[in-house]
Amino acid sequence: MATSTPAADGRTGRTTDPALRAPVARPGSRLLHRLVWLRLGLLLSAPLAWMLLIYVVALAALLITSLWSVDSLSSEIDRTWTLDNFRTLVENQVYRDVTVRTIGVALAVTVIDVAIALPIAFYMAKVASPRLRRMLVVAVLTPLWASYLVKVFAWRVVLSEGGPAEWSGLGSPGYGLTAVVITQAYIWLPYVILPVFAALERVPDSLLEAAGDLGANSGMVLRSVVLPLLVPGILAGGIFAFSLTMGDYITVNIVGGANQMLGNLVFVNAGAANNLPLAAAIAMIPIVVMVVLLAAIRRTGALENL
Amino acid sequence: MSLPTGADASTVATSGDAAATAAISLRGLRKQFGDVAAVDGVDLDIADGEFFSMLGPSGSGKTTVLRLIAGFETATAGTVWLGGTDVTRAAPFERDVHTVFQDYALFPHMSVLDNVAYGLRVRGIGRKDRRGRAEQALDTVRLGQLGGRRPHQLSGGQRQRVALARAIVLEPRVLLLDEPLGALDLKLREQMQVELKQLQRDLGITFVFVTHDQEEALTLSDRIAVFDAGRIQQLGTPREIYETPGSAYVAGFVGTTNLFDAATSQRLLGVRAEHAVRPERLRITPTSAEPTTADEIRLDAVVVETIYLGTGNRVHLRTDDGLELVALEQYTGSLDSAAHRGDAVTVRFARADVVPLAAAP
Repeated sequence: MATSTPAADGRTGRTTDPALRAPVARPGSRLLHRLVWLRLGLLLSAPLAWMLLIYVVALAALLITSLWSVDSLSSEIDRTWTLDNFRTLVENQVYRDVTVRTIGVALAVTVIDVAIALPIAFYMAKVASPRLRRMLVVAVLTPLWASYLVKVFAWRVVLSEGGPAEWSGLGSPGYGLTAVVITQAYIWLPYVILPVFAALERVPDSLLEAAGDLGANSGMVLRSVVLPLLVPGILAGGIFAFSLTMGDYITVNIVGGANQMLGNLVFVNAGAANNLPLAAAIAMIPIVVMVVLLAAIRRTGALENL
Repeated sequence: MSLPTGADASTVATSGDAAATAAISLRGLRKQFGDVAAVDGVDLDIADGEFFSMLGPSGSGKTTVLRLIAGFETATAGTVWLGGTDVTRAAPFERDVHTVFQDYALFPHMSVLDNVAYGLRVRGIGRKDRRGRAEQALDTVRLGQLGGRRPHQLSGGQRQRVALARAIVLEPRVLLLDEPLGALDLKLREQMQVELKQLQRDLGITFVFVTHDQEEALTLSDRIAVFDAGRIQQLGTPREIYETPGSAYVAGFVGTTNLFDAATSQRLLGVRAEHAVRPERLRITPTSAEPTTADEIRLDAVVVETIYLGTGNRVHLRTDDGLELVALEQYTGSLDSAAHRGDAVTVRFARADVVPLAAAP
């Protein structure tokens, strides 16, 4: 038995609150809605200008400066184009040694950090309870809030003669490249743990269970499922550790003994030696190394999963 | 815990127990998460070649039982027997069961073929041999052409089949399926139900199927265990579960039902215990039609709502003494007599169709 008739179905005699109707758009909003490129342009113009100024211009300035030279008598910058600086870098044994040393330290730091970060990140992402996981994330992040200098000096104390490293019975390597590697590995570790942790968190537990279910033991699960899926995270963290170590010059001054890295040479030439063009040329070395490295990684196809 | 842990091989022992004859035997199985007992004493024997469903709402413990059988969880108490072997402490990779996961858990960095061949690869089977077997398994689930694709290039239904192929390529005696059809749309789900049933029959392996969909459980299974609060509330064939539910909980969870509490039963049937009657057993007739017979119950009622279902109508009624009832009218020829909202009608059902329920636990 139908109780409702068309006349009573609510369409007649019912008024809508005008505030609930679609608002009338201003012409500007309408234009923006229609012109996608205009919207995008307005959105990105400020950050684009910033990027252009900070990044592209600074890099270009660096490159241009490295092609100038300094008059040895007047110490004035001579703005005629020359490749002398780069010739010096290639021909002078010191620069070759320092470059190799810097790359070696950076590689050692990267390998150590990845090796330490993998089990820690795995424990955080896949074993720890949610509560413990939050605490561990905070624990990993906390050292980043402390001053870089304080941390390096702390390591100087730890590694000093008769210091904590010797009390512990492990012995201290003394100030030198080993100390630089240890200190840098400590300082950049959070930058490696976090991307690996993030990558691991994105791997569903069911994938690990499925691998075990299909007959893989823990080692095989790690090798055939976990590690391949972690490659983007390991690469991201590794690139952080590598490039940050490449550019460092403070740690090596404090715990490196008499050793020098590329950063020191830049610092000395830009400052005391007052040879800005040579400093610029030296600064190009880590940039070139990073570009070559990224190109090599890209060729392996590993970046496609990023 | 997510990585399989190493198992103590000494705990894997064979037994001449009665459990040895069944494909899966659970004895006094308990699983505690903190203070909560997810599985609270489950005893169960699943026969070889059976299509067995574990049905229940989320949080009823059915998935935990499945994970205990697979070895992803370790039992707090009780034992798990697989084909006569105690595997309670064995790691997942030591158990001859394979799981089809709810989210399929396909390896995203491998092709479909490599996914299917994964179990063969970790068993050290040669490249050529495993390729052949994986292709055959893909043919079984009618995906022979897609071996070269990556999982993300497949539709939901195709991924489902890859997950199936990856498990059956290892020729397990038991396949565990954790709500495998839950993510599929209705049409695909119905099609996959038919395929699953056929696959299970053709391969002759035991299926343990977890679902919260009572219709799915009823249509597919040889036997069903209805779970609630970590326990099996009722165990039986689909027909037993549907027609003679053992408790108000089972009657309410499996299909719709009209539940009579003790007081109502006393009034209607003269028995002081809970009873239930299925909606399709109720007939709606005009008031004061043919007289009542001894084996029929008659109630005067008003139609509260009529809902069109396509194959019939679901009619909600309220009797004169306030009892709410649901009746299902099927279209048989014509349904001109359809009840309309506000109609006064008489509801009739046979005494034999009213099922007594065991006292609620």
